[in-house]
Amino acid sequence: MSEAEELPRSIMRRVVKYKLSRCSEDGEISVSKDGLLAFSESGRIFIHYLSATANDICKESKRQIINVENVFKALEETEFPEFVCPLKASLEEFRKKNARKKVVVSKGKEDEPKKKRKLEGESSDKGEGSEKGEDNDKGEDSDKGVSGDDQ
Amino acid sequence: MENNQQQGAQAQSGPYPGGAGGSAGAGAGAGAAPFQHLLQQQQQQLQMFWSYQRQEIEHVNDFKNHQLPLARIKKIMKADEDVRMISAEAPILFAKACELFILELTIRSWLHADENKRRTLQKNDIAAAITRTDIFDFLVDIVPRDEIKDDAALVGATASGVPYYYPPIGQPAGMMIGRPAVDPATGVYVQPPSQAWQSVWQSAAEDTPYGTGAQGNLDGQSMEF
Repeated sequence: MSEAEELPRSIMRRVVKYKLSRCSEDGEISVSKDGLLAFSESGRIFIHYLSATANDICKESKRQIINVENVFKALEETEFPEFVCPLKASLEEFRKKNARKKVVVSKGKEDEPKKKRKLEGESSDKGEGSEKGEDNDKGEDSDKGVSGDDQ
Repeated sequence: MENNQQQGAQAQSGPYPGGAGGSAGAGAGAGAAPFQHLLQQQQQQLQMFWSYQRQEIEHVNDFKNHQLPLARIKKIMKADEDVRMISAEAPILFAKACELFILELTIRSWLHADENKRRTLQKNDIAAAITRTDIFDFLVDIVPRDEIKDDAALVGATASGVPYYYPPIGQPAGMMIGRPAVDPATGVYVQPPSQAWQSVWQSAAEDTPYGTGAQGNLDGQSMEF
């Protein structure tokens, strides 16, 4: 098995330690190196197991893409039905976040042409101003410079 | 949180060695009473502040944000040749499901470690959790339990260090080569040996013909009919 296929040990350690800190109130519980490796390997096999089951369900329903419903059914088939509820909640949360992002992106896209128009308008105004009142600007600058010297 | 408490303690005691902000030397002066009153107010405010901070920290549960990398999960899924296409939301579910699974396995492993009065989770704790829980049967071969192997080795070997021999399947029912399966002292049937031992003994038995009496037996005992 290549290292690219392994689950990252740092995250595994964090997940395990998080749970252990809640289990024991009186002190820190450590995890041995081979224990951590076993957790990582177990997680990898669980993903394989679940994806294979979801794939079978997907094929049964004569579809090619493994979707969310297939995963939920696979969890029930593999005797992990208690995972379904929290997973549905996290999926809802993810969808809400995605919806917000989409709204922000779409707003940004809508605003972009307006901004461009504004910028174009401003640049044209500036151009006209510079053509008409070049002498005035120069005069103002020279005046400012003088006042600065006097002070 | 401990750091916060320490900071609070430092703030309450003040930077000076004379108690809260040097109040020890303030009693002699003319403005001692208002100064002490101010100090008391400060101390109260500090205590309120730190108690509020502590409550706030204790109520925050949003520290946990350890999602497994989706790209890695996709790779693991794609390692199976049968899996072709995956929807965008599927890896997110897999990541969360894997996290929940690891949490479940952790707590069951911890129970085993706690039973043995240990403060370190070891591989055999995880193996024990797997063997105890039916839904983790798919992991039995992945995390083998060392203790079980050791026990089997002890049971398989006799006092002389040689395992009991069981006849091949095709052999007549009455014939027994080697030591009997029943222990004469206790009258209890002993467990059959492991496959590796059995194959060794079988090959040794096949080399010598049955009719040669004691020579055909591995333990030098006569045949029993």
